[in-house]
Amino acid sequence: MNEQRKDVLDLLAEGKITADEAERLITALERDQPPAVVDLDARPRGRAKYLRLEVDTLDNGEPGRINVRVPLQLLRAGVRLAALIPPQALDRASAELAKSGVPIDLKQLKPEQLEALVEHLDDLVLDVDQPDAKVRVFCE
Amino acid sequence: MLPQLVTVRVRRPRGRTIRVWVPLLPFVLPLLPVVALAAVVACLLHHVSVPRALVRGWRFVSALPGTRFDIEQGGTAVLITIK
Repeated sequence: MNEQRKDVLDLLAEGKITADEAERLITALERDQPPAVVDLDARPRGRAKYLRLEVDTLDNGEPGRINVRVPLQLLRAGVRLAALIPPQALDRASAELAKSGVPIDLKQLKPEQLEALVEHLDDLVLDVDQPDAKVRVFCE
Repeated sequence: MLPQLVTVRVRRPRGRTIRVWVPLLPFVLPLLPVVALAAVVACLLHHVSVPRALVRGWRFVSALPGTRFDIEQGGTAVLITIK
């Protein structure tokens, strides 16, 4: 209950105004209220169900095509399952990645960050156009 | 929902196509106790919570239906779908 409405009810309780006046005052207060702030995070979730990856290539004159559809639910479950990987295994995987020229410390990737990433994947559209390859990542 | 059917389609350069439908339940049910036991042993060895690992593993498997891989190169194509 906001402060002004409480003041009106106090006046009514003290008998300084009648019930009709209190009602009119409260109605006027409600009219003057600013519109509710739209919460962007409250948008309906679960619109997209699948993550799609489409790759069209032209390799030595031969056309190639990769079309992958992965349920977003599978990605979420995978992130939660991967959170159980013991730290020593992550260390070894990070070391192997570094040897292959991908210096990523997997221990720095927190499950909650990955989950947030998956949650917002339905907004993602990635298009890469090259003369010999076309890559498209999107959700549907 | 657990995956029930895996479809594999292979197309060879000469144009011949092989399609295989694999019903998972007859394969998975006999293997389930062995896989679960192996998972429990692996969890105990690596100090991972067994119930949590089993629940998350089950959820991962349950989320598999709808997955589709379609790879085509020249005259060869491989399609794998999980339903």
